[in-house]
Amino acid sequence: MCRKDTERTMRLLTERQLEAFLRSAETDYDVRVPVALRDGTRTLGRLDDGRLALAGGAIPAKMTNVFFPQMDRLLTAGPDGPDIPKPVLRPLLVVGFTAQDAECLEFIDRFYAENYRDDVYFNRRDGAVIVCVSGRCGPQGRFLEIAGGKCDMEFICDGQSYLVLGYSPVGKALTEKLAARQPAGTATLTELQKESDSLAREDSRLLQAASRLLLEEKVPEEFWRSVSDRCIACTSCNLVCPTCTCFDVFDRVVDGKVQRWRTWDSCQLDGFMREASGHNPMGLEHQRTRRRIHHKLAADPKRWGQLTCMLCGRCDDACPTGIGVKAVCREMVSKYGSV
Amino acid sequence: MDNSIDRAADRFAERLGVIDKHTLYRPFNCTLRSVRDLTPSEKMFRLAKLEGGPFGHRPGQFMQVSVLGIGEAPISVSSSPTRGDYLELGVRAAGTLTSALHRLKPGDEIGLRGPFGTHFPTDEMKGRDLLLISGGCGLAPMRALIQYVEDRRGDFRKVTILYGAKSPDDVLYKDELRGWRNSKIFECQVTVDRVPGGTCWDANVGMITKLIPPLQIRPDDTTAVIVGPPIMYKFVIEELCAKGLNAGNIVVSLERHMKCGVGKCGHCTIDHLYCCIDGPVFRLDQVANLKGAI
Ligand SMILES: Cc1cc2nc3c(=O)[nH]c(=O)nc-3n(C[C@H](O)[C@H](O)[C@H](O)COP(=O)(O)OP(=O)(O)OC[C@H]3O[C@@H](n4cnc5c(N)ncnc54)[C@H](O)[C@@H]3O)c2cc1C
Ligand code: FES
Repeated sequence: MCRKDTERTMRLLTERQLEAFLRSAETDYDVRVPVALRDGTRTLGRLDDGRLALAGGAIPAKMTNVFFPQMDRLLTAGPDGPDIPKPVLRPLLVVGFTAQDAECLEFIDRFYAENYRDDVYFNRRDGAVIVCVSGRCGPQGRFLEIAGGKCDMEFICDGQSYLVLGYSPVGKALTEKLAARQPAGTATLTELQKESDSLAREDSRLLQAASRLLLEEKVPEEFWRSVSDRCIACTSCNLVCPTCTCFDVFDRVVDGKVQRWRTWDSCQLDGFMREASGHNPMGLEHQRTRRRIHHKLAADPKRWGQLTCMLCGRCDDACPTGIGVKAVCREMVSKYGSV
Repeated sequence: MDNSIDRAADRFAERLGVIDKHTLYRPFNCTLRSVRDLTPSEKMFRLAKLEGGPFGHRPGQFMQVSVLGIGEAPISVSSSPTRGDYLELGVRAAGTLTSALHRLKPGDEIGLRGPFGTHFPTDEMKGRDLLLISGGCGLAPMRALIQYVEDRRGDFRKVTILYGAKSPDDVLYKDELRGWRNSKIFECQVTVDRVPGGTCWDANVGMITKLIPPLQIRPDDTTAVIVGPPIMYKFVIEELCAKGLNAGNIVVSLERHMKCGVGKCGHCTIDHLYCCIDGPVFRLDQVANLKGAI
């Protein structure tokens, strides 16, 4: 990103003005935004599904599900052989990513592109516009980290209005369409950036320390047994995790036609790795509990050169027994290491 | 036999990126040419492409075999590309999909994706002694390698084949095993764990591990390849290490639950490796220190 260029196109808009802008974008894009439903649930939806609710931080469901939905069709049997889904006609414009969500998306883009490119994922992802929301609009007044260049566009809240920044060519072009609006001052951006830079990084240090312990194999089996004793295998951790990409595949008949689908799967389930012979390399609960954490903090760093938990906090929020990634890392580091 | 097969496989692999960009999960249809009973629970299927031509596989690779409406499963290719433009698959009826395959008749169509996964390192094995050890269904992928070695016999030095099954009834590819045992170009030994009363059996009885100590092995010049049920690896590896082989000269083919075959579904992981794209064929030193690999 060229900072000068970004600042030149930067605009300051109220939430209402942003809503009008997003509605106008609906001609070219399939627009998804955080909305508050009638019952108060804040979720990702279309503008008509509920009141626009930019403030509030991470959406409880994972944002990556717009590109990797819980159930997705891989093919339909046709007269000339199996028919595969086509790319979406109108690209998606998705608002509401946090800085951590944008990092998660960056990783799964890499995951689906490398080795074999997953065309079903990229049918939705190609051409999509990613918009992060940050600044003074987190839950309980918390400041949300500024994502910077990790997305196409960003709405940074200054407490009342939103600074709109375009980073990628498409993000800049969209921001420039707002030319008639009042230009924003760079002083505010500098101030907000300072606030973002001064956010505490303890969780990130904790994660690094836990990752080191795992890579150095300093965490004994008994630790995983004690954590797994508290696991009820509800699979919420996997279902909300934006970097969980595992899926199962099954065939079904719809309107007399055979379809093949994929659906999210969970490494916390006993059958996840069980082979037809009955052999199961993860047949014990503590092996599955270990895998959930080890995969993100040790296996993925070895394979991809990066941790694949971005500390979005969803699994810690969702776990009914308090063994989300952060909680387990805290316990692990306090027992076997130091931050 | 023709070295251009390896080059054709390379060209095919190069093209995969382009083809799969559009059709990662779409199977292509093949004709089932013939079906043969191997044992009461295993059958062999010979398949050919509708438009003819090679499948571009190498020994050790697998296909995702599809019966629309039932599902898909990974099955090793059991024939060598040196044998012609067909694929053979040896399939045990283990569950839904494999049982559906067993119900198919010659002339039926089957969907395939692949070939996927790593292959046996036939180039690095050239000029070396080979010790090919398989157990149970593991003979299916091993057969592809044995056929390949048979067709390029001059490329390899001493070749020893060891095969173990539970009982005489469970022995796969009986005719071929007889041929290999009688052949001058291989040293081949077969063993079964037990022989039920009244069964004729003219080979060894006992665990496959018992066949290893008496062998004359030149550890530095030998590549050992192991394919079999999970329990077999640990004990066979121990015997090979006792013979002086190091992990760099031992090759294993590992089985894991697989759903996609292309490194996306996550079912087949071994630590940071994906059995479907980094394997199923590994050098032992790649996996020996990974928890749960062997
Ligand atoms: C790389 C590779 C190569 C392979 N090569 C070969 C080969 O050459 N030949 C060969 O025969 N096999 C091979 N296999 C194994 C083969 O893939 C499996 O046998 C096949 O996937 C089984 O599929 P299925 O649909 O028939 O069985 P499934 O229907 O999946 O069932 C398998 C078994 O699991 C049980 N089961 C199913 N669902 C459940 C459940 N929910 N709870 C409890 N139990 C359940 C069934 O009762 C059955 O016993 C290979 C596997 C891999 C990974
Ligand atoms: S089989 Fe899906 S990742 Fe390996």
